[in-house]
Amino acid sequence: MTLAGITRAVITFAVLVLLHFTLRPLLGWRAPIDFLLLAVLTAAVRVRPAGAVGIGFLVGLVSDSLAPDTFGAGALAMLFVAYLASWLKAVFFADSLPLNAMFFFAGKWLFDVIYFIAEHRLSGIDLVQQLVLWSPLSAAATAVAGVLVLLLMRPFLEPTQA
Amino acid sequence: MARLGRSNNRLDSTVLIACAALSLLALVLPTQVREPIASVLRRGILAPMLRLQQRSEESRRALISHDAVVAERDSVAWRAMGIESLQTENVRLRDILGLGARLKWGFIPAEALHGRGVRDEFGVTLSAGSLGGVQKLSPVIAPEGLVGVVDNVDPSISHAMLWTHPDFRVSAMSEDASAFGIVQAHLSAGPGRYLMEMRGVPFRTSIKLGTMIVSSGLGGVYPRGIPIGRVLSETKTPETWARTYLIRPAVFPANVYALMILRPDRASSGVDNVWAVGTIADSSVRRIVVAGDSLARSAALAEASARQAAQDSVTRDSLRKAGVPEQLILPADTTTHPRRPVVPATVRRDSTRPDTVRRDTVRRIPTRRDSAVIPHTP
Repeated sequence: MTLAGITRAVITFAVLVLLHFTLRPLLGWRAPIDFLLLAVLTAAVRVRPAGAVGIGFLVGLVSDSLAPDTFGAGALAMLFVAYLASWLKAVFFADSLPLNAMFFFAGKWLFDVIYFIAEHRLSGIDLVQQLVLWSPLSAAATAVAGVLVLLLMRPFLEPTQA
Repeated sequence: MARLGRSNNRLDSTVLIACAALSLLALVLPTQVREPIASVLRRGILAPMLRLQQRSEESRRALISHDAVVAERDSVAWRAMGIESLQTENVRLRDILGLGARLKWGFIPAEALHGRGVRDEFGVTLSAGSLGGVQKLSPVIAPEGLVGVVDNVDPSISHAMLWTHPDFRVSAMSEDASAFGIVQAHLSAGPGRYLMEMRGVPFRTSIKLGTMIVSSGLGGVYPRGIPIGRVLSETKTPETWARTYLIRPAVFPANVYALMILRPDRASSGVDNVWAVGTIADSSVRRIVVAGDSLARSAALAEASARQAAQDSVTRDSLRKAGVPEQLILPADTTTHPRRPVVPATVRRDSTRPDTVRRDTVRRIPTRRDSAVIPHTP
């Protein structure tokens, strides 16, 4: 990966993190878009699995600091998703928007599954409702947002060769 | 190459396992340890992000509450508009109550039912008719002054000719009764359309601008003393033997909703003191000023006579010293006494002013008679 590519990836990452703390509260949806996860996924597919794990762990830990009761759950979920994203991209990922949308959708859903199971806050019907209803909705919103981001930033982001 | 790949895979797995272990460790950490770490992250890397998030949430709240705020502002504005009209109506009703209290008897309260049509600027329908005691040619008045005269009476309603009507005439005079004339609508186009004019004022008589014009009582329809308007300016007409003045009307009929119809017996007994509140106050002020002047004058006269007495006494002493016989020297009181009556005379002149007050008290006789008439007023 060239220096220019690294710079573009960092800028994209920073923009998505900013959107997470600005656009997401502004929208205030019940099934929110997870821009942090998008940032981690877009970064993860450009680095080795070890680097993706590191990025996921740090981002997850930072976001966990806002909910100290479940400190570590977000980091655990994020590092697994980042590792899988990096590994899958290295294996067969294509530069196709529908596949990217599925990738974002699956990543967000998997993140929620790991997160809500690890944090032990929800249980029973509430957990099922969250994982079957709200998490897919949030994953869909995240996937749509991810596709939009890719469309908008495609001229900026060069095709990756992971 | 294969060894490098295996090494990389081993590194990836090691990092994954290490980070997962750290995450699990963070999950099971006691709160006392977990909270400081979270706090460091919040105060450090997350602080600017949290400020952004706070602003975004404030913006969202503002967006959400915008419609509610606009609706609330609209309803407040609507209520404020209602309050203003209510206050205006309240003032008018209070004025009309005040007029009723001053009239005491012989009036019929009525509402003006404006048609707002083209012909309605010359007349108005009143909500009282012959059943209420309204008769033809009864003066129609408002708290501010003359509105018109009843020209048509039905049992339950009546119609009044407003002063804006081309045929309307009222015999008028200046407030101090120094000039008389006939007031009618100023039938011109343009902004002067809603003014009055006072015609037939003798050429030798001049009326100051701003003078209040009231009905003169001549003619038998309108009692003396109903305000008509104030003199705006003198206007030129072909009638060179008389002056014509433009009058700003006291009442604009379009703004009148509650008014009074004077019964003929009330009109014939006069309404002298009904609108005289301002005049009485003015005369009271004048009396106070004059009384102050007479006190100052009496003090000055007393000082002058004391000075004269002292001078006379010095003169007498010097005459005695010069050997002038005592019988030729005038006694002290003969020099000062003639000046004394001056002061009481002035005071007495001021004290003649209460005559006007006494004249008002004479007017109470109709009041006593009215108390029997009050039940007839609706």
